Amino acid sequence: MNIDHHSGLSFTEAGGPQIAIKEVTPTTVTFVLSNTDLSVANALRRVMIAEVPTIAIDLVDFELNTTVLADEFIAHRLGLIPIISHQAVHLNYRHECTCSPYCEECSVLFSLDVSCQSENAMSVYSTHLVSSSPAVQPYVDPANEKGVLIAKLRKGQQLHVKAIARKGTGKEHAKWAPCTGVAFEYDPHNKLRHTTYWHEEDARKEWPLSAKAVEEPAPRDDEPFDYKAKPERFYFTVESTGALPPTTIVTQALDVLMRKLAEVHRVLGGIAEAQGEPVVQPTYNL
Amino acid sequence: MPPYVPSDQPPGRGKGSSIFEMDTMGRDDLRYAGKKLTDPISAAEDKWRLVPAFLQTKGLIKQHVDSFNYFIETEMKQILLANAKVDSDVDPAFWLKFRDIRVKQPQAYDARKGVAYELTPHECRLRDVTYAGTILVDIEYVRGKQLVKKRGIEVGRMPIMLRSSRCCLTGKSPADMVKAGECPLDPGGYFIIRGTEKVILIQEQLSKNRIIVETDRLGLINASVTSSTHEKKSKTNICYGKAGRVTMKHNSFTADVPVVVVMKAMGIESDREIAELICGNDEKFLELFSPSLEESSMLDPPVYTQRQALDWLGRKVKVTAMRSRIGMRKDYVEEARDLLATTVLAHVPVDDINGQWNYRPKSVYVALMVRRTLQAVKDGGIVDDRDFVGNKRLELAGQLLSLLFEDLFKSWQANIKRAIDTQLKRSNRTSQYDAATAVAQTSRFITDGLFRSISSGNWNVKRFKMERAGVTQVLSRLSYVSALGMMTRISSQFEKTRKVSGPRALQTSQFGVICPSDTPEGEACGLIKNLALMTHITTDSDDSSMRRLAFILGVEDINVLTGLDLYEEGTYLVFLNGVILGVHRKPEKFVNDFRALRRAGRVGPFVSVYRTSTQRTVNISSDGGRVCRPLIIVNKGKSMVTDQDVKDAIHGIKTFEDLIQEGKIEYLDVNEETDTDIAMYDADLNYNGKVPFGAIADPSALDRPNSTHLEIAPFTVLGAVAGLIPYPHHNQSPRNTYQCAMGKQAIGAIAYNQLTRIDTLLYLMVYPQQPMVRTRTIELIGYDKLPAGQNATVAVMSYSGYDIEDALVLNKASVDRGFGRCQVMRKFSTMIKSYPNQTYDRLADRAEDAYGQVLEKYDILDDDGIVAVGERIKTGQVVINKQSPTETSPRVAPMAGADDAGGQFMGATDPATISYKASPTTFKYDGDAVIDQVLLTTNEEDQTLVKALIRQTRRPELGDKFSSRHGQKGVCGIIVQQEDMPFADTGVVPDIIMNPHGFPSRMTVGKMIELLAGKAGVLAGQLQYGTAFGGSKVEDMSNILISNGFSYSGKDYVTSGITGEPLQAYIFFGPVYYQKLKHMVLDKMHARSRGPRAVLTRQPTEGRSRDGGLRVGEMERDCLIGHGTAALLMERLLYASDAYDCEMCGECGLVGAWHGFCNYCKSRKGVVKVKIPYACKLLFQELMSMNVVPRVKVKDLE
Repeated sequence: MNIDHHSGLSFTEAGGPQIAIKEVTPTTVTFVLSNTDLSVANALRRVMIAEVPTIAIDLVDFELNTTVLADEFIAHRLGLIPIISHQAVHLNYRHECTCSPYCEECSVLFSLDVSCQSENAMSVYSTHLVSSSPAVQPYVDPANEKGVLIAKLRKGQQLHVKAIARKGTGKEHAKWAPCTGVAFEYDPHNKLRHTTYWHEEDARKEWPLSAKAVEEPAPRDDEPFDYKAKPERFYFTVESTGALPPTTIVTQALDVLMRKLAEVHRVLGGIAEAQGEPVVQPTYNL
Repeated sequence: MPPYVPSDQPPGRGKGSSIFEMDTMGRDDLRYAGKKLTDPISAAEDKWRLVPAFLQTKGLIKQHVDSFNYFIETEMKQILLANAKVDSDVDPAFWLKFRDIRVKQPQAYDARKGVAYELTPHECRLRDVTYAGTILVDIEYVRGKQLVKKRGIEVGRMPIMLRSSRCCLTGKSPADMVKAGECPLDPGGYFIIRGTEKVILIQEQLSKNRIIVETDRLGLINASVTSSTHEKKSKTNICYGKAGRVTMKHNSFTADVPVVVVMKAMGIESDREIAELICGNDEKFLELFSPSLEESSMLDPPVYTQRQALDWLGRKVKVTAMRSRIGMRKDYVEEARDLLATTVLAHVPVDDINGQWNYRPKSVYVALMVRRTLQAVKDGGIVDDRDFVGNKRLELAGQLLSLLFEDLFKSWQANIKRAIDTQLKRSNRTSQYDAATAVAQTSRFITDGLFRSISSGNWNVKRFKMERAGVTQVLSRLSYVSALGMMTRISSQFEKTRKVSGPRALQTSQFGVICPSDTPEGEACGLIKNLALMTHITTDSDDSSMRRLAFILGVEDINVLTGLDLYEEGTYLVFLNGVILGVHRKPEKFVNDFRALRRAGRVGPFVSVYRTSTQRTVNISSDGGRVCRPLIIVNKGKSMVTDQDVKDAIHGIKTFEDLIQEGKIEYLDVNEETDTDIAMYDADLNYNGKVPFGAIADPSALDRPNSTHLEIAPFTVLGAVAGLIPYPHHNQSPRNTYQCAMGKQAIGAIAYNQLTRIDTLLYLMVYPQQPMVRTRTIELIGYDKLPAGQNATVAVMSYSGYDIEDALVLNKASVDRGFGRCQVMRKFSTMIKSYPNQTYDRLADRAEDAYGQVLEKYDILDDDGIVAVGERIKTGQVVINKQSPTETSPRVAPMAGADDAGGQFMGATDPATISYKASPTTFKYDGDAVIDQVLLTTNEEDQTLVKALIRQTRRPELGDKFSSRHGQKGVCGIIVQQEDMPFADTGVVPDIIMNPHGFPSRMTVGKMIELLAGKAGVLAGQLQYGTAFGGSKVEDMSNILISNGFSYSGKDYVTSGITGEPLQAYIFFGPVYYQKLKHMVLDKMHARSRGPRAVLTRQPTEGRSRDGGLRVGEMERDCLIGHGTAALLMERLLYASDAYDCEMCGECGLVGAWHGFCNYCKSRKGVVKVKIPYACKLLFQELMSMNVVPRVKVKDLE
């Protein structure tokens, strides 16, 4: 156990990169990543946004749509509904699967069959979606039990669709992105002088301090500029769409990163083997 | 009035959703905007809340409606009464009289049920029907020896303006409006002719019946009057010519006539009296006028008496073609007398008093015109300003329709008379002739005339030699503001080619009545204008009561005055609508009395009265077309509108009209405004050097005149379209003008009924948002309910280099989530016609190939031969598979002999034998689309009409055009992945990155403040205001930012998404309202390798629609020549264009050898093949056809 003396946070392991988790809520996680390079930290951020796979509705068959909204309109809305994606790891990507157009290996079927009988307008929510797999359900925010509004129906209007949810990543379409925003920051006191505060008279007076400033000692006025210093501690806050718990997003992102490195390792290993050089076995296991 | 009891439920709740509702309570969300019911109200602060109250009854498009209502209810009846009687030249005992005329609400007839029902505008749009009501008249006429009265005879159909008194939408609640398929926010004020919405634009003209002094082309000073009455229109000029001779110019004289002769002809025989009438006792005037005075005696023959003058003038009268044909020439004296009475200065009445024509007012008028000319000469050429708005009149739909209707009615009457005469002439009538049939049978005449003019925009009124084109335009439904903007548009009659800047320039007198920003760029700049928010245009009103009132208030009648009385020191001439009433010795008291009476409601609120000290006149105007605006009356430095009044207006207890009735607010036209001192804010009010709140403001206030009026709200100087701009007062002015043009191209919500409309082309935004930074105008016109744009989070920084020249960087994730997504709807329609030979168009089945497979082209057709709703359509596929018969007219018998009735119709050929040819409607646009809806209906002629609406959903792509509300447009240069985008410390990623180079030269500070206010609004969870000359203050916005932990400057600490390092600079970051404009790459992209060629020249066709080539033009050619790239030049201009292997004869040098044989030389010897452009060969042949021989010398290449 390694205790950071300034913040009092405990870090998991000495030596390599360390993560200290500060706060976890159902939708957010706040942690500090340290002992690593800026590029790694940023890579983690980027992977969390773009490469953690989730499930989202990708193909919609309209059997009946007498609502005022156009088919594409509803299809687009359905696509953006966050779907609980624990199962994503067990699904194939579309390009990995040989089926056509879809099969159980690569997709989850949702159906929506609503019609309005009442005089008042009826609202269709994501909770109206019926999943073919109990483990894959639309995410429902506890504060809003009805889920996401899809459409509103007047008396006599009907909507009957079959929606196929697939695995994908935020790279392809934002609907697969598991997080809404990733706050990322380091060096709250700008000791590294990576940026220049815009100010009229006094930057310190005019600029509000970052919330993360309490985490690090403020620089003394007479402190000399250390031009060799490197950023060390990276403050993350990951907010989830609900598709995955925020901690899972982080772990899966790390997993994705690792697999990418493993792939590089494997390919290089292959080349080394071909050239008759000794192959270094990975010290981790996936 | 019942005392106001506050309740939880504000009055009018639920009723109002639009200022365009006839519901007087209006939108309570506006009336209470930002206020709770119990909040204190101060008139100084909240007086702008009178604007919504005003807009409920007047302003914006209401002028169109008012003018149309006036036409339908008053002018039509006047026209009828003026032309009530039809006589017969054949039977003196016969007469026909029109008693009354009225227009019914539009109705349609349901043939199946056999009943008539209320026709709604939306049904008209869908069915390509005209929204028109029948015109009914009551007539009385002689049949044989009886007097017959008939009521309600149809004489035609009148197109009905939407929301006018005859429109079915009037008085409907928003809910009922929705039931009728209409949008409650739709402004109305336009017509629907055969399914297309047509607007009659407001026309700007020089005012009629007023003297205008100006310098003509030769530099001579001229006083001119365009007289206009219902009977006559003519222009009279008084010109101060060479050698000081004053002459009168008039169209009906063959030459300019000396003014003295005219005066003498009007009965002022004595030179002294003439001189007095013109010059009073002013020596200087007399000096200028004396040469003219001598003129009459030097004429040949000399003119001294009235009779001589009339005779002399009579000889100068132009002989019209008609009169010379008839050969009836009255004697010269009578003719001149007649002309002077009716045609010259036609608007000045010449009354018949005991059989004598009273020329006195007219002669004084002529004298005055001369005096005004001399005055200008004396002052060294100071003339009137014809661009002054007070000298303008705006003609509205009602007036234009009235002109047209009057002309049609008169021509129609002449037709009836002719028809009746021919019938009465017949001696052997079997039954008694009933004139009512002639009336009823010719009803198409008026209908067709009206429909034709409105749908073509050609206004031709022969009697007034009026020929105007482009009076009407198709209502632009690109966005809600574009439709609204069209309703407030003013088009000027000035020629666009003239190189004078005057009419185009912004005139100071346009303040408050014409929007200073909203005008197009380029050709029509300054000629097409828009009304400001609070402008009202008057309608004509009767002036006889005003005449009486003027005399009661002490005006001395012109008929009893001598010239000396007229121009006595301190006397002012009093005019009523351009006609001299007389003089008044205490003009100030007169004007004040008159105004007091107007404020008391004894005179119409739109009557204006003002004094000019330079000309010493008092003008009273009640004519139509004057622009005016309401202002708060100030009494002794105090605004008449109290806190309680504003409160009552907000609660809907008092309407705007009530405040006018109470004399607290009045309408001032531009002329009367020159007579006032208007304070902008309460604090500016000045009374004897004192501001209202006690303190002495500044010593200079003592010199200022006392305030007479107070502005209601400064932001109303702008129009409806410029009102969308937040903080326009911080922008460089042309930027506001650019936004006015671009706001009309923004894609958004068009109307609440947008999804049931089938328009030729409709752009809709998928997720439109109301702007974070709104303005009062936005709320007033309902733009927040039908917005056209989205609040985009903008980072002002440079990124990637794909953002130069105003290009924007878009976030891919934003685009994925629906930013800038829009739908494009296109209409495909066709008529299923029936033809005279009993044949019909038909809808055919899908065509199949030899194996019974449906061809792809017809793949998505339903069983009825029309595309199926919900199908996806590809380029080239058939939408409506119509087939038409090859023959449509009945066959004519071959020759005489074959049939007894030789040459007549042979009757119907068996329709079954007639073959059909395909005439399908195909989808020829790029990109996949979906069939949205199909409509099968019938039009007015009972022809079947098929309409299919095809929808395309588009997400933004590279090259799509966007703009903020500050005239800053740009195309999308690159779409970037979210993880690559820069982000703020909170993880916020921008939707748009805008290059900061857009700011320094454009100076759109308003955009920066919009961003700041928008950011503060987002953080505080409230909408901010950017109303012109007001709005949320920057300081307040900065304070909100600071309290939320942001920099007051709106700049954020931003990290690069690519490296993870913070950016060196701090980035201006926040929400700005962005509009997606209709110019999209998909509609414009075009490339061609090979393709169609024009038949005549064999050169590639031109234009994207014809898959044309990309032209190497003259300048491109110059470049290639300059580079010396001869082969490239040859390739582009010859081989890739219209290369032609031409055979030429080397011997004779002529083109046109064939297969190696020259037909001219009868030889094969010199024939060679030459590659020349086909156009060149064509030229040679055309020259030869004109007997010019082009000979070519051919030689081998060296």
